[in-house]
Amino acid sequence: MVEHKRDDLTKALLELAEKLGQIELENVEVAVEELTFHLQPAIAAATRGRAALLPPVEKVPDTLLEAEFSKPEEVYAGQVAEVVLGATRAEGGTRSTEVRIGGAKVPPFYSFEGMNPNRPAVAMDVFDMPLTLPKMVRQHYEDVMDDPAAWAKKSAREFNADVISFNLISTDPGLKNTTPEDAAELVRDVLKAVDLPVIVGGSGNKQKDPIVLEKAAEVAHGERILLNSVSTDTDYKRVVNAALKHGHSVVAFTPMDINNQKKLNRLLLDVGLPRDRLVIDPTTGALGYGIEYSVSLLERIRLAALKGDPELQMPILSAASNAWGAREAWMKSEELGPREYRGPLWESVTALTMLMSGADLFMVSHPATVRVLKNVSDGLFGVGETDQNIENWITAIE
Amino acid sequence: MTEKATLLTVYRLLPQTNCGECGEVNCMTFASSLLERKKTVKDCPPLVKDVKYRVQAVKLAEHIAPPVREVVLGTGDRVVKIGGKQVMYRHDLTYHNPTAIAVDVSDRLGDQEIVDRVNRAERFQFAHIGEVLRLDAIAVRAASGDPQRFAQVASLVAKATSLPLVLCSLDPGALRLAVEQKGVYERRPMLYAATDENWKDVAALAKQYSCPVVAFSPNDLAGLKALAKTLKTMGNEEIVLDPGFWTSGKLLKSSIENLEMLRRSAIHRGDKDLAYPIIAVPAVAWIGESTEPTTSAYKESYLASLLLTRFADMVIMHSLDFWALLPVVTLRQGIYTDPRKPVAVETGLKAFGNPNESSPVLLTTNFALTYYTVANDVEAAGVTCHLLVLNTEGLAVESSLAGGQFNAAGVRDLVKSTDVESKTKHRKLVIPGMAARLKGEIEDLTKWEVVVGPRDSSEIKGYLDKYWSAKVQ
Amino acid sequence: MSERKCDPAELHSDVQLDLDQTKFPMDIGEMYEGERIRRPDLYAEFGGVDIPKKFELVLVKPLTEVQDGKVEVIGPDLPDLKVGGAYPLGILIEVAGSKLDRDIEGVLERRVHYFTNYIEGVMHVNQRTDVWVRVSKRSYERGMNSLKWVGRALILLFKRSLPIVEKIQVTFLTDPTKLEEHLQEAVKVYNARDERARGLTEEQVEDFYSCVLCQSFAPSHVCIITPNRMGGCGSISWFDARASSNVDPKGPNFPVKKGECLDAIKGVYTGVNKIVQDRSLGAIQQISLHSIFDHPHTSCGCFESIAFYVPEADGVAIVHRDFKGPTVNGLAFSAMAGHTSGGTQNEGFLGMAIEYLRSTKFIQADGGWKRVVWMPQQIKDRVAESIPSEMRDLIATENEAKTTSELKEFLKSKSHPVIEKWKELEKAGPEVEAEVPPETLPTLIPAGIEIPAVGGGFRIILKNAKITAERVIIRREESKR
Repeated sequence: MVEHKRDDLTKALLELAEKLGQIELENVEVAVEELTFHLQPAIAAATRGRAALLPPVEKVPDTLLEAEFSKPEEVYAGQVAEVVLGATRAEGGTRSTEVRIGGAKVPPFYSFEGMNPNRPAVAMDVFDMPLTLPKMVRQHYEDVMDDPAAWAKKSAREFNADVISFNLISTDPGLKNTTPEDAAELVRDVLKAVDLPVIVGGSGNKQKDPIVLEKAAEVAHGERILLNSVSTDTDYKRVVNAALKHGHSVVAFTPMDINNQKKLNRLLLDVGLPRDRLVIDPTTGALGYGIEYSVSLLERIRLAALKGDPELQMPILSAASNAWGAREAWMKSEELGPREYRGPLWESVTALTMLMSGADLFMVSHPATVRVLKNVSDGLFGVGETDQNIENWITAIE
Repeated sequence: MTEKATLLTVYRLLPQTNCGECGEVNCMTFASSLLERKKTVKDCPPLVKDVKYRVQAVKLAEHIAPPVREVVLGTGDRVVKIGGKQVMYRHDLTYHNPTAIAVDVSDRLGDQEIVDRVNRAERFQFAHIGEVLRLDAIAVRAASGDPQRFAQVASLVAKATSLPLVLCSLDPGALRLAVEQKGVYERRPMLYAATDENWKDVAALAKQYSCPVVAFSPNDLAGLKALAKTLKTMGNEEIVLDPGFWTSGKLLKSSIENLEMLRRSAIHRGDKDLAYPIIAVPAVAWIGESTEPTTSAYKESYLASLLLTRFADMVIMHSLDFWALLPVVTLRQGIYTDPRKPVAVETGLKAFGNPNESSPVLLTTNFALTYYTVANDVEAAGVTCHLLVLNTEGLAVESSLAGGQFNAAGVRDLVKSTDVESKTKHRKLVIPGMAARLKGEIEDLTKWEVVVGPRDSSEIKGYLDKYWSAKVQ
Repeated sequence: MSERKCDPAELHSDVQLDLDQTKFPMDIGEMYEGERIRRPDLYAEFGGVDIPKKFELVLVKPLTEVQDGKVEVIGPDLPDLKVGGAYPLGILIEVAGSKLDRDIEGVLERRVHYFTNYIEGVMHVNQRTDVWVRVSKRSYERGMNSLKWVGRALILLFKRSLPIVEKIQVTFLTDPTKLEEHLQEAVKVYNARDERARGLTEEQVEDFYSCVLCQSFAPSHVCIITPNRMGGCGSISWFDARASSNVDPKGPNFPVKKGECLDAIKGVYTGVNKIVQDRSLGAIQQISLHSIFDHPHTSCGCFESIAFYVPEADGVAIVHRDFKGPTVNGLAFSAMAGHTSGGTQNEGFLGMAIEYLRSTKFIQADGGWKRVVWMPQQIKDRVAESIPSEMRDLIATENEAKTTSELKEFLKSKSHPVIEKWKELEKAGPEVEAEVPPETLPTLIPAGIEIPAVGGGFRIILKNAKITAERVIIRREESKR
């Protein structure tokens, strides 16, 4: 826009241009006393709340500016204990492998400042009686639901579990009220059927579980199983004594309360449980139903452990199969899409989220979750080459 | 690292005249609003207009600025803010500005397909715990290699939606053509991306049209920093960083490390050159390897979710399958919940199964986690009952008992307001086990008989089976 | 006698299962805490409005003087009473244990209220010489036909929850003469306790106590509790913390050796600083116990009240949780609470217990009561005896000042001590940065103004110029779609 008194010539020129679309003048000479050009891009660009501190001067450099980047590494005062699951013949058991969890020296997958020694381990749920499971889970176990040993075998061989999580739910007085002795025999069967480490869980009945776990501990003498679980309002002493007597580890469970967890850990260590035999389960909330509480809880616990809090330096167990409690995981719905994908994805995302927050050991139900966890762990541990070229993703995606 | 901003440190940088032009009662309340990010420095007219406050205004803006800059996408009422992060871990405060999810549109598609896709993205929604979860932006991808087509599609998309736009091309010529389309530049599209090859032109373009611009430097943080620094020197303020994302193998490890290092540099080391929001592209899960679309969508979904836990302020996704987007928006909602504020559900009377006038009446709090735990347990056990949901300001049973929000008067008011007495023949109320101490008081005020139930909602079924019919008789 | 099944899991979560309560005629459990006994079901009541003589007392005695498990009723017992009647009662509980000392009596006494209420068919209200107990017909008819059962239940509950109580005996005094004797003694004991509690200072003790109960909410927070500074939540005094630390050494309260005193007025101790550094995992380095400005004590979020700086008056104001609406500085309790919590140190803001206002060291580093300019009427009334008489009328409440200008007027009119500082501050002048030449100033663009051009735009001014061009093209702009 030229700020100048328009004379007739200019006016005529502009009218011509308007009519014809474009006019060209050759060998033009313009003499002016004062001429001001005000150039601005013709856009309305103000929006509320935009920061607008402008540098007073702009420069266009010839080359990219220099920049140095140094890794922002931090130093940690403490580390997480390591717990071994399963005992091989050399160690007094009959497992073919032992699984080691924990030992973190840096926050989860902050591998630029150190490599944590152990891969996350994945346990698959096996139950001692048929039960109602979401369809996407049940379809994989229909043929083995009546036989815990077969169920365990399938999980190990077909679905590649690292650990078997055997839950003695039938001991619940409200279900079959199986005696601890009978339940222990089932544990024996499962131990015979697979050579993987085993976690043994009760039914959740606070009075009976310690007795059930005690019997299981006897039967599994020397196999280094994980007794799942004790809490502040159960007879934890009984379970710890059984663990000490028969060489097992214990899960300390608390309902999303960090102070309660610290207290329980203190109590267990006080009654003689060694530091390398304690695994904690601070509760895993399902995706959409409290998962964020678990995220912050696990992050806080792991950071506190690394900063030196001895009451929280334990490997963490995540029951990612809690994801199936969310209706989005199992309900049939046109709008939400096929639950064949939705369900396992729900458990996978729950598990991965807990993995990134610091979980060391997982309990899951669906085979797909096992694959996802192992796949992602591989990558995060730097295993495997990538032939993917993502730099041209803009054109590479269909 | 800059000094921590508190009420007093902020107050000291204000004019302290209590003039009220900002709309607040005085400078102290304005300081509070600034800290809560409800107002900005520019909302104080004296600071803006008066030359004598100029230097402290700039100081103040820097003092309260979050260590990760906030970048605004789009214009009008569909504006989306990304970045603005204050802390590395949500438990240290809260996460601000939920990760923006952009869905891509390839310029290889036909016009109608494009419009359909854009509409689908815009229509996506899911209601969960009192919020409607949606997608945030459209990323137009120059897949065809034809700048004209790209510009056409940019224009088409701009017309089809009011969502913020991202223009994706590494060819600055194509970007310019697209940006300069009428209807496009007015929207301030985010430019993806400036690289070590095209930075000069892309930076100038972004500056000219005030567009946010992405610096893309795959697996090279020094290069990324150099890019960002250069972009800033050339007058760009709204910069977004893409350190590159690989879906598997060694480079997945590097990808995650880069995200962590970037965020820590900004927040713990106060590195101003890297104090920008991060964008990641889980859509790369769709590249290469003959994969079934379902497998790619599945992978993209869980990788996008993983990126949410590792500082991604924005993601570009390809899948529009509801089941694949659902976990991502759900996880996002959870993570971005302010941990300082209890999440509450609606109060009132809920029905489970098909309760009649003899069915039990249970009581719980309106803390979302409590409510949903009780609801899930009751549903899963197939229990038929009425459930009264009491307003305890979103606090759980134990805390609200201690704090007094869970009290007998509140229960009495709830009984009245829900008119539960017209729905039941009996007058027996089952209260949570932990609330036993209120039994007498509640009885006095409601004239109902109070029965102390189990402490854990998983025991509700067992409890009712044992005691309910007997007691009702 | 009783067919009732007793579910041990229904008792307190820390209980050890060694006393057999299935032998009791009535049930015992936390679920009875809120149980009320109304007239139709009333067998008899003790104390209450119409009965002047009643008391409840816990005494710590030497181990040799306590007969473990003994329960005695001196005077009429339940069967001797008229149904529906009201009677005098003294409850005397004597305890002994190697870790017990007399300072813990008050804490144990408070437990009597809870434990009594856990007994099915027994209701307990108030404490000390206000105590009121009711016994239900239902429990009496089922076999709880003597106060001895109540005594035995109390012994069971004490022993289960408090292992440091090694021996315990309970005596019920219903005989008026005997009751009177003991009542006199009881009142003497209460008075002595109160005086001791009031008189004890930080200088007189070696150990402070810590509390991390609310670390769930604020990981970097730990409360330091001294005889002159109670926990922010208002529930835990130095005596309580000490008792709790003895009872449950692995619990949230533990002793903190105060160490060397670095500043007596501010209340800075090396031992305190060390524990704060450890417990906050390095987040907090130092704490002043009695200052809101210099490294103030942190809070989690459950504090009862806030002491906050009002810069316009250079004074300190107080507000409590129940105060509705904005305070004198325009912010409500909830708004300030957000800036004061989470375990952070915030200069000029302090979350605290209301009881701290009664402390002789209340913000002594900042001037104590002489610096206080505003507080809610309700709180002023509540702690009136602790406010120095000459200050009482000089401190404004919501009735006298609702804004900082009204406050300044009020303070001026009353010649409040803080106005001395105002003169100094006014002389110093406002803090404004030095003048800077406009060309070097950064540009700040106001909000809400539509600017046609952002990010560029410049003028070129040509004077006395001649422009030659080989070609000049004038093109009509295509109208955009």
